Amino acid sequence: MSAPFGGAAGLLQRLRPQRVDVADLREVAGTVLPALSTNDLRVRLVQRPRGGSVVVLEEHERCVQTPLGDLADDMTAAGVRPTAAGIAAALSAWVAHRPVTDAAAAGTGVAVLDWADVARTAVGWRVVVRRGALTVPWTADRATEPAAHRVRTAATGRAHDVVLDLRVEGPVALWSHPVAPGLATAALVAPERMLQRARSAGLLLADMHVVITPQRPVACAGRAVAARLAGETTEASVTLPWQRLADLPWL
Amino acid sequence: MSAAPAGEAGADVLVPHWLTGDHRARLTTVVREALGDDHLHPVVAIRLEDVLTELHVAAARDAVWPASSARVRLAAGWEADVLPVRLSAGELAGVLALPALPQDLRALLAKGAAA
Repeated sequence: MSAPFGGAAGLLQRLRPQRVDVADLREVAGTVLPALSTNDLRVRLVQRPRGGSVVVLEEHERCVQTPLGDLADDMTAAGVRPTAAGIAAALSAWVAHRPVTDAAAAGTGVAVLDWADVARTAVGWRVVVRRGALTVPWTADRATEPAAHRVRTAATGRAHDVVLDLRVEGPVALWSHPVAPGLATAALVAPERMLQRARSAGLLLADMHVVITPQRPVACAGRAVAARLAGETTEASVTLPWQRLADLPWL
Repeated sequence: MSAAPAGEAGADVLVPHWLTGDHRARLTTVVREALGDDHLHPVVAIRLEDVLTELHVAAARDAVWPASSARVRLAAGWEADVLPVRLSAGELAGVLALPALPQDLRALLAKGAAA
């Protein structure tokens, strides 16, 4: 799970982290975890005979078990503030990053683009589920191929309905989601609609290339402008002609 | 658009000039006015069109990847509206050749310094 405790820690806090104590975490968990449980999600603190407590998240076929000590160490390393409020926020963020169930992916999944490799040189389609500002990826590891296909098809349909903000900056169209940054690439399931909307906003993109950095706004421009945009940054991105979007693989 | 694709063989090196929102607005005005001149040499016109493109692209770049510029601004103590505008030697020469370029902008761009 990437950044599973939220992004609240400042640079100083990350450089000189203060220890998140297991006893403090247990106390906060006792208050916070019951409130995070729902009809489908069961969040518990289980005391084992040996080896201390374990946090158990159970939701349909997905189950996460993490020793409380490991969680405290991870929070310390991430620079979580060792106050009750800091630990509570980190614990809530950690639960929000839990794996996506097959049922949630089938019922609410949305198709977006995500990094296809660790080096961030390629992108592919992925089904994500929105939890507030977060978009959490679904892994199809347990689903049969026909079931995965159904989930992906439905997620592609939902991606058409994601409403994005459009900002025209000269020869560049910028697309972003007002709350969940990970949904900005959802519009790329229908690039012809993006072309139409840009045209309505006064921008004619004859040779539209898209500059994609997952979790960041999507930039669309002609080939040369797109190359100028992406070529002068050290940030990872992928630039493609819009016609190639449909050929990207599912991850 | 006629901007040279970065990274292609023969592409110019683009050098960042850190400009405030006011600098960028005034540079845009001067370049637009120059492009309205019917007697402008076509090569100069292409370079100035590319400067206009870059002024927009600089803002778009900051919208997509704000972190790297934000780090520089924080380290240098600059305001939030200071952005790197990346110009080739030819584009810079085209701007510096404009008689209407305000003196403070000319000095800033000529020394390649920051806001």
